[in-house]
Amino acid sequence: MSALRPFFLRSRVILASYGLALVMLVVATLFRPSFGSIEHLRTLAIDASIIGFVALGQTFVILTGGIDLSIPWTLNSAAILLTLLTGGKDDALIWAVPLILSMAALIGFINGAGITLLGISPVIMTLGMNAILQGALVGYTSGGRPGSTAPPAISFLAQGSIGGIPVDLILWVVIIIGATLILSYTTLGRSIYAIGNNALAARFSGIDVRRVRIFVYMFSAVTAALAGIILTGRIGRSYLGMGDLYLFASVAAVAIGGGSILGGSGHYLGTVAGTFVLTLVAGLLPIFNLPASTQQILYGVIVLGMVLLARGRAAER
Amino acid sequence: MISPPEQLPTEPQGRPRRRKFNLQRVVPYALLLLLIVALAATQPSLIKLSWIERKTDSTMTLVFVIIGQTLVILTGGIDLSVGGVISVSNSLAATHFGSGGPEMLLWTAIILSFGTLAGLVNGYIVARLRVQPFIATLATWSIWGGLALAILPTDGGSVPDSLFKAATGNIAGIPKSILALLLIVILWLIFRRTRLATQIFAIGSSEKAAYLSGASVVRVKMIVYAMSGFFAALAGINRTIQLTSGSPVAGNPFILSSVAAVVIGGAALSGGRGGALGGIAGAFILTLISDLIFFLGISSYYSVIFQGLLLIASVTLYSIAALIQRRRRAA
Repeated sequence: MSALRPFFLRSRVILASYGLALVMLVVATLFRPSFGSIEHLRTLAIDASIIGFVALGQTFVILTGGIDLSIPWTLNSAAILLTLLTGGKDDALIWAVPLILSMAALIGFINGAGITLLGISPVIMTLGMNAILQGALVGYTSGGRPGSTAPPAISFLAQGSIGGIPVDLILWVVIIIGATLILSYTTLGRSIYAIGNNALAARFSGIDVRRVRIFVYMFSAVTAALAGIILTGRIGRSYLGMGDLYLFASVAAVAIGGGSILGGSGHYLGTVAGTFVLTLVAGLLPIFNLPASTQQILYGVIVLGMVLLARGRAAER
Repeated sequence: MISPPEQLPTEPQGRPRRRKFNLQRVVPYALLLLLIVALAATQPSLIKLSWIERKTDSTMTLVFVIIGQTLVILTGGIDLSVGGVISVSNSLAATHFGSGGPEMLLWTAIILSFGTLAGLVNGYIVARLRVQPFIATLATWSIWGGLALAILPTDGGSVPDSLFKAATGNIAGIPKSILALLLIVILWLIFRRTRLATQIFAIGSSEKAAYLSGASVVRVKMIVYAMSGFFAALAGINRTIQLTSGSPVAGNPFILSSVAAVVIGGAALSGGRGGALGGIAGAFILTLISDLIFFLGISSYYSVIFQGLLLIASVTLYSIAALIQRRRRAA
């Protein structure tokens, strides 16, 4: 894996955000030793993983220079479909999960098609899609609480563990490795960076820009759906508005992890650090008796700080 | 966020292209007219002065946000922090206006100064520190949102009767909100002819060209974001009067709806094209489409779908209009 080293050395912002997460962890543990206990860290890691899933697709989209604002209600659609279709039983999962993921892929495809074929700006297209999904869900459920509880198998996926290691974390580690391999070692990964740096140049060098862009929006919708399924398993049910917090979190995680909103630079490994930072800030507040309002303020300050740090690094080069 | 390269303007866009039929600029007003006709067809008894007043009242807060958002979008930026500024201003107004009088005037000044200052901070981060507007204002939105929660942890507060009375009612038979709207339209038409407006349009069309032709890009952007903050604060005060209470998350819905209205009104997110009047038409379109859906007997829960569809459809319409325009010009 020596090929990873130069990447890590170049990405000081990513190192810095891991450093920030580590410092917060150490400080919290000094003030409250139980914060650093394996049990608590496991809980934190599971919280982080859900942001991690949502932010995976967002990372890919942002790397191409786009943005996906339809994540909240794509996530919510998947969660509500899961409880509606399965009725809280495992039997239906066999067809329900593939169906949900396919529907997510379709949502992403429409996003990508609108952006690449009709030339609609990503902000507008995904914002419109988010509104359409929201209206459809709220309308269909008449604003009520839809469906049943989460099927046991999904709860196990989100809460259970095998040999002391949470299943959800095993899944996340596999995803982290997979995403790293795709971004760093495949043609697709290189195409994504190339498009983010200069879409025109990418096209002239033979990349099917449209196809890659449509792919990243499909990928983003599917990861949002995955997050919706796991989040349902974690809280045991689905409700309207459960995805709302994840739009800010997904973009913030990418930005804290050194990803440029203009595209072309950043990495999922950085986004993972960003999810740690976001989760730790939320975990730190009760230790220092800080009100909930501090969380948002700190989020804003950290995002700004890391973006400025990344910008400073870019200017030095 | 890179949107597809737009066709470069073939003529200077700094000044309004006068007396030349521009298909794109008609779209928002045509849409609005169409909606009103459709509403009149389904509910003939509806269209009255009192109805117009009610609609204007309920759209006015968004109108204030849109003025600022339009200016920012014209420079090719975006201001997501309006949500936080509205929340802070709404929370402050609902808790500090007291019983009216000099106290209220003082706090009005404080709130408007806060908005302007918050905007200047955005402007500094975007123009001087060169952070992408989307991410810069996302961060400041979060900060101001947190501040609003600190000021007013839960919904509440009140508004002095005197203010409510002063802001509602009629002057010479015309409702004050409609007069305010007319005033905004006139002020915009005047503003449109100033040097500043010319520079704003120029920066949005081509920042480099604007810089080379002597516009102070940093200064103009700072002013634009400051104005966006000011109008967001004004919107927050207006919301306080309309709903006679405050909420620490009051501003959040206005982030996306202001961007949507400005875009439905014909602005391009890449900058250089659009205007506040189109944006105001966009705001009324968003309000009226919900009404139309209600009168058509569709559950109001679905109304968001139509706003989303309208957003995408109108942008597509603009692309088609631009295409026709280009063809015609080429011919």
